[in-house]
Amino acid sequence: MRSRTLLAVALVLVAGMAFANGAQEGAAEPIRMGGVWPLGDITGEQGSKSAQLAVDELNANGGILGRPVELVVIDSEFSPDKGAAAIERLATIENVDFFIGGMSSGVHLGQIPALKRYRKITMWTGAASHLAEEAIGPDQDWYFHLHPWDYNQGASYVEGWTAIAERYPDIAIDRWFLAYEEGAFGSASFEATQQLFSDMEISGESFQSAAAGGGDYTAVLERAKEYDPDVFIWAGYDADALPIMEQARAIDFAPPLFVGAPPGWPASFGESGLAEGVTLYGMWAPSLNSVSDVSAHYYQSYVSTYDEEPATYFAPLGYTAVMILAQAVEAAGSMDQDAIIAELQNIEYDSALGETISFAPSRVISNQGIRQQKILQWQGGEQQVLWPFEFATSEPEYPFPSWDR
Amino acid sequence: MSSIEQRPRRRAPWVFAALAALLAFLPLVAGPYPQTIARSVLTYMMLAISWDMLIRSGQLSFGIAGFFGLGGYAAAIGATYLGVPPVLTLVFAAVVVGVVALLIGAVVLRLRGMYFAIVTLALAEIFRIVMHNWSSLTGGPNGMLLPRSAFDGNSVATYLMMLVLAAVVIGVSEWFRHSRIHFALTAIRDNETVAASAGVNIYAYLLTAFAITSGIQGAVGASYAQLFGFVTPESSFNVNYTLIPLAMTLLGGMYGTWGPVVGAVLLGVVGEYLKLFIPYGHLLVYGVIIVLVILFMPRGIVGLVRGHLERSRRTTTASEKGGAA
Amino acid sequence: MTGFKRLQVALSVAAGIAVVALFLWRPTAVVYGLQRAGLYASIALPMALVLGIVHIVNLAHGEMMMVAAYLSYAAARALGIDPLLALVPTTIVMFIVGIVLYRLTISRTVDGPELNQLILTFGIAMVLGQAVNMIATSQPRKISLDYVSASATVGDVSFGVYDFVFVALAAASLAGLYLFLKKTRLGQAATAVGQNPRGARIVGIDVQRTYTIVFAISAALLGIVGTFFMTKFSIFPTVGGSYTMRSFSLVAMAGIGNLPMIVVSSVILGVSEAAIQAVPHGGGWSPLVFFGLIILAIMIRSFRGGRA
Repeated sequence: MRSRTLLAVALVLVAGMAFANGAQEGAAEPIRMGGVWPLGDITGEQGSKSAQLAVDELNANGGILGRPVELVVIDSEFSPDKGAAAIERLATIENVDFFIGGMSSGVHLGQIPALKRYRKITMWTGAASHLAEEAIGPDQDWYFHLHPWDYNQGASYVEGWTAIAERYPDIAIDRWFLAYEEGAFGSASFEATQQLFSDMEISGESFQSAAAGGGDYTAVLERAKEYDPDVFIWAGYDADALPIMEQARAIDFAPPLFVGAPPGWPASFGESGLAEGVTLYGMWAPSLNSVSDVSAHYYQSYVSTYDEEPATYFAPLGYTAVMILAQAVEAAGSMDQDAIIAELQNIEYDSALGETISFAPSRVISNQGIRQQKILQWQGGEQQVLWPFEFATSEPEYPFPSWDR
Repeated sequence: MSSIEQRPRRRAPWVFAALAALLAFLPLVAGPYPQTIARSVLTYMMLAISWDMLIRSGQLSFGIAGFFGLGGYAAAIGATYLGVPPVLTLVFAAVVVGVVALLIGAVVLRLRGMYFAIVTLALAEIFRIVMHNWSSLTGGPNGMLLPRSAFDGNSVATYLMMLVLAAVVIGVSEWFRHSRIHFALTAIRDNETVAASAGVNIYAYLLTAFAITSGIQGAVGASYAQLFGFVTPESSFNVNYTLIPLAMTLLGGMYGTWGPVVGAVLLGVVGEYLKLFIPYGHLLVYGVIIVLVILFMPRGIVGLVRGHLERSRRTTTASEKGGAA
Repeated sequence: MTGFKRLQVALSVAAGIAVVALFLWRPTAVVYGLQRAGLYASIALPMALVLGIVHIVNLAHGEMMMVAAYLSYAAARALGIDPLLALVPTTIVMFIVGIVLYRLTISRTVDGPELNQLILTFGIAMVLGQAVNMIATSQPRKISLDYVSASATVGDVSFGVYDFVFVALAAASLAGLYLFLKKTRLGQAATAVGQNPRGARIVGIDVQRTYTIVFAISAALLGIVGTFFMTKFSIFPTVGGSYTMRSFSLVAMAGIGNLPMIVVSSVILGVSEAAIQAVPHGGGWSPLVFFGLIILAIMIRSFRGGRA
């Protein structure tokens, strides 16, 4: 009997530890921000570190409203239930004032019920799926979404390519082929493109991303080559980037525009000779430092603090989320939620991504921030911005060089 | 074998059950965060118990995630197209998945060992691929939202829902252990040929067990869909729903209801607790814990305690090895 | 047993006919299918070896290949050499890793319920994956190599030829393992242990030592595969996971302990996948073909009474 009682006591203790932990944190003297990211992933790891960078910077300058700022980060582990538990903990035990962070629509869908219960001001940096927007629903004035929705991205590509074709008449964009990874990310890209580019010739084929256990693109590339498009786009993940180039080269497929649309690029992609002339979509690249002081400032402090480069745009987005909130709270002059929301809805924040961010309604929600992806190009091992022209750091290289370069 | 399992459990289960009940009601007063963690623990616990119920017959399933995901989709589809009320989707999913398992089991249950395991794994993948590609019904890769969630997501009410479901699952598992089916299944595990010649209708018992355990997994999948209000192929069929319950059962101890229960509580709570201290890299520690526990407690925690109990009672049984043959 | 053999022959013949038909319709699909088969077989063979002789399902199989790939990557990066030059050191390191892993962990679970090994290797997989994630981050890595894009042009069709290294690798692995198991004393002992551990112990074979060496050989093979893998594919901490499941499926399809059948199964799966992908918009269904064929093969065998 004794061992059984012992086991029982042990169980109660372990459970008790978790339940009791951090139950009291004292009066909310500092302003507390709660961040949820997948910390095991490069996006979340660097996003959270960038947010911490912003918090440190704020504190070095006297905090917000003279109060210090604290950031509490919890790992979502890329799992909806862990992500939701993190929100619950931040809301009820850490007593945070704001929610920030985010990466992955799947995780976000799991968090939305919890977010809607607490209705704290939320500045979300991830989740592109329109399904997440539907789950948030209309009239949720506390919810601010920085990352463009999937259809925003699609529309910005139409806009960007039309502008580029107008400015550079020799660039043809009439015939498209989309190679898209078969998951939610790729297929949403394909659907959006089909709708938005409806007056153009579009074909497409799905592939299994290396991130999902695939990595063989030959069938898709062969079909693309037969189709002979003006623009070839692949929408997959960073792991697909170099192998796609190598396999395209193996079958001698060099379309006039070779576009990659992954959320991030692999380490040292630029070092490869195959990168030259590859066009890409993104929100940020170090080359923006030459046209944006905020970007240059962010980049330098990130590199000097962490001794590494920000690898994806989720890093500057984390920084941006904190800074926008700080600016709004300062303008509101208090921690009154309605006042802060009013300030956020009128904010003009000059961001590290180049553009000035302001919020306006999208299809469903009231406060959508960024609506654009940029069109960039790998030139000389670096991502140069081609469009929007106001942030352009280079002219397009066209056509994509043939493989016997 | 059966003498070890039967004798000491007269008074002890009641003490244990009372304790479990106490523990189960603790989150009710502790707030939403513990309730969330507890819901997640209960989710994995039920999957672990259902897996254990089948392994008692020697049949190793790698298909938990498949039936779990299928249950989630059954709930979402039932609620969206047939207007099944939220809480009833659990029953609906259990029935749908149970029937699917019955049909599949009729064919695949003649397989044993690794072959059965691989087929259940492959079936789980096939369920996922079908849900992924059947866009008109399931929303394809993006998944689908549920029209409304159970109790509008009220934390206490959903926790109670999970608690009731878990109580039912524990009840079924205990009934399994004390009914004819238990002796039949154990007989199959220990020696199938002998069992068959002793007149045990292996096939019928296995089929029943497979349908019931799959139905449980389906109901749990439905409850998960209700808790979070959505299903997607990637999250609903995540292979973690197979591996984590398996790890929990082995850590807690196989061939009984309480092993999975203990394993789920420990791993679930430890996993959540660890990441508060080690935000970057807690999964590494989690993995190390799994390795160490298996190395030093090969029979699981309940097995260890039971072993102590046996020794202190000086009950020596000839066949001490209760493991899989 | 003869029925089983006949089934193997029938399957092989059917596969051959299908390949010829596919070749007439779309030649490159056959090329890519065979290349894919080479990759599958070369990863699955080490698992088949361990499963057939040590009788454990090593859930850390893919992660061990991943670690090997990172080793070669790190060597190539640090020394500025071609990753293939790291082949020998990586293979040796993996052999040692195999010995250490086996001695330190797996050998200690042989007395417990056999499923414990499953969870143990699951834990090891987690530790390996997470450790690499902490050291190298989740960002994928790939060295750009010119020879990976090597291509041949027949008529007006260009196709990649580099992946034939996987075909060669699979063939070499199979031949090497065959020679090892049949011709060397150690291999014969390993075969005996695989068939009947208790009997082998009685005739004086050191079972634990045999298991250790077999496991280490499997790890060393993964060292070779991992190195070639990283020349062709991006590597990241979770890259191996799907190959564990695939290899396990292949071994089950081939029948435990049947190494040559692994190659046949790989060809069937690789070419079928390539064939379904050659159909417009068929790509999404290719995993269904993979798993469907595996179930089919296992069921057919069970109905023919060839149950293991």
